[in-house]
Amino acid sequence: MEKVVEIKGLKKVFGKTQALKDVSFDVTKGEIIGFIGPNGAGKSTTLRILLGLIKADDGQASIFGKDVWNDAVEIHKRVAYVPGDVNLWPNLTGGEVIDLFLSMRGQKVDKERKEELIKRFEFDPTKKCRGYSKGNRQKVALIAAFAADADVYIFDEPTAGLDPLQERVFQKQAREVKARGASIILSSHILSEVEQLCDTVAIISQGKIVESGSLNELRHLTRTQIIFKTKEDVPSLADQDFAHNVAHEKGETIFQLDSDKMAEFLRFVEPYHVTKLESAPPKLEDLFMRHYETTKGGV
Amino acid sequence: MASQAFAQTGRLFRFAIKKDWLKIFLWLLGVAFYVFIGVFVFVEVYGDPAEREALSYAMQNPAMEALFGRVIGQNNYTIGAMYSHMMTILGFVLFAIMSILLVVRNTRSEEEDGILELIQAQPTGRIAHTTSAILLLLVTNGLVLIITAALIIALGDTSMTVEGAFLTGTIYASAGLFFGAVTLVTAQLSSNARGAMMLAFSVLGISYIIRIIGDGGVPFLSWFSPLGLLYNTEPFVNNYWYPVFISLALSLLLTAFALYLKHKRDMGAGLIADRDGKRHASAFLKTPVGFVLDLIRTPLIVWTVSMAMLGITYGSVIGDVDSLLGGNEIVSQIIANQEGISMAEQFMAMILGVLGIFSSVPAVQFLLRIREEEKKNRLEKLIAGTRSRYHILGTFFLISAVIAIFMQIITSFAFGGAAVVMDFDVDFLKVMLAGLAYVPAIFVMIGLATLLVGWLPRLTSLIWLYLGFVFVNLYFGELFDFPQWLSALSAFHYVPEIPIEAWSWTVVFGLTAVAVGLSVAGFIGFRRRDID
Repeated sequence: MEKVVEIKGLKKVFGKTQALKDVSFDVTKGEIIGFIGPNGAGKSTTLRILLGLIKADDGQASIFGKDVWNDAVEIHKRVAYVPGDVNLWPNLTGGEVIDLFLSMRGQKVDKERKEELIKRFEFDPTKKCRGYSKGNRQKVALIAAFAADADVYIFDEPTAGLDPLQERVFQKQAREVKARGASIILSSHILSEVEQLCDTVAIISQGKIVESGSLNELRHLTRTQIIFKTKEDVPSLADQDFAHNVAHEKGETIFQLDSDKMAEFLRFVEPYHVTKLESAPPKLEDLFMRHYETTKGGV
Repeated sequence: MASQAFAQTGRLFRFAIKKDWLKIFLWLLGVAFYVFIGVFVFVEVYGDPAEREALSYAMQNPAMEALFGRVIGQNNYTIGAMYSHMMTILGFVLFAIMSILLVVRNTRSEEEDGILELIQAQPTGRIAHTTSAILLLLVTNGLVLIITAALIIALGDTSMTVEGAFLTGTIYASAGLFFGAVTLVTAQLSSNARGAMMLAFSVLGISYIIRIIGDGGVPFLSWFSPLGLLYNTEPFVNNYWYPVFISLALSLLLTAFALYLKHKRDMGAGLIADRDGKRHASAFLKTPVGFVLDLIRTPLIVWTVSMAMLGITYGSVIGDVDSLLGGNEIVSQIIANQEGISMAEQFMAMILGVLGIFSSVPAVQFLLRIREEEKKNRLEKLIAGTRSRYHILGTFFLISAVIAIFMQIITSFAFGGAAVVMDFDVDFLKVMLAGLAYVPAIFVMIGLATLLVGWLPRLTSLIWLYLGFVFVNLYFGELFDFPQWLSALSAFHYVPEIPIEAWSWTVVFGLTAVAVGLSVAGFIGFRRRDID
């Protein structure tokens, strides 16, 4: 697959805090990558480096094979960006701002497409920006981004402030641009959104990519929740190194199983006459929580 | 890559005009008004050479020279010379402020708001946003030049030559460009708009003070102040052009430096590091008064220091007035037109009036801070709490009123103290009394601001227009012979000029009553109206 975005060993220090220690991941053509991590993990810093807004202290980052800092202008002709907190000029209308952003790309404003998006997002472009709510300001940036014919879309919590219906419109748009071969980097705290939309996921924690790959791959790395019941008593499950967080409830045992140790567990439990066995695949949330807890000093 | 850095400057510039034209238009209107008033009034009122000569002598004293600059062209004090002398320094300050605000508004403010992030994520050059602001600065100051020159040529008398008119316009524009360029640099140094503005205003303040010291007897120092430097062009008197080139060269250097920094640095970063804050709110911060005081802490400190310094500056020269001008008959006729009152006392009364107006600026500014909070949607958080609206506006109001008194005490104390230290024949207590006499007038100003906050929240800046009028009235009222009814509109007009006039309880109670009336109306309006 053709790599569109390549990031290798990014480092960035702000004063005394090391915001990025080692960030590496790639994005291929037509891929949607979910970029997740707790607050302050370095998501926005990474995205801002990709946009050439801030300069990495070390490491390489390129889009379309061009350096993100030196060739920012060239790159941005094919990149669209929506930040999580959009501020606009109070005395201009939303429609004017959308046109400005599109005109800066050197493209003729595709009126039909713009109107279509305005309709889909149920946006009123004739009001001055000072009157817009957070969600509406967000729509200005989203419409400008989707109306642009970009090859890479960078979204930093783009749906913060949108209602669930608009969120769905966003997802639909994202799938459409993916269908025509564009790549998307989506940073979001709405994990269900990432789960539905993304092909791959990169999890960042404390300035490092701690996990990356397709969702399926990642699931193997994590734990499956098992609920089971046996006729005979099981001797100290907690002593087994594949079992975590063992708990007993109404005669059932609930615990977290290392996903690659399923066979071992089945062999272990087999002699005790199993009457019930449920396994729930890990959700992205579980994956995420695991790393979130790590940052808090757990596990 | 170098050309890429400027990419889309043109488009951003056109857009900047679109969003900023009204503000620039209003400023230019102010510039035109300033020049018009100066030329028109000088030509109309000071047609008589003898009168002008008398005035030139009257102006030749440290206090006046500190304010206006040293007298130029005294041996032939034409209308042109008079205009250059009286209008230049004040004009510089005005145009410098215009340019500082313009640059901050179009650079660091938009960066702080995150607008620049959106722009720079488009295919625009890394410094295009800044170069567009520079273009806007150039065009605005270019228009200042043209408007000034055109008005002077159209309205001036024969002493106001075309060359002088263009030089006047050019130095106005040069002052604007210089301080605009300074602001371009401070916008890179500080990570926020307020810091950038404060730094730029500090440079302006320091330039003014260096010029005062220079004109006060250390002439070479004036050259080190951009204000003094450009003042030395002496339009209509000598028409020296070379200070303009020095100023433009410096502006160019500063601009280049600013662009270099902008190109190099990260978005959102400043070269001056931000300090870490406190983890917890102190008990003081949790009280309403403590909260508001914390909001205005830095400007309050800056204002206190500035006012004290102004007081000291004027206080330390006031005593020289007598020795400098005592022997001059013409001056005595014009200035000391009241028998038995010393020149020093007459000047003192006037200077204290000016300082009183200055004191009302922070008082009003801190009251209007409530509007700032409202516009930023922070007021709703305060009102949604358990405090009533009266309580919240009352807190701002109280602090504003206390600061008015505080500022007057500081300036009068600095003024009187400096005068006493310099061993001048000045009654310290009288100075304090003279300062305090202005407090009720400042209260009226605060009352008016409260009224605006309560009833016309979108037009609160009208108070500055009124303040400008009060200043013009006090400063130029007698010079320009303002009609009585017009002067009567100024709250400061009623304040007795101690030590020339006596303390008046009638005025104190009268003005305070007006202030209370306005404030009460304002409070009622604030309680009834919607919060933005």
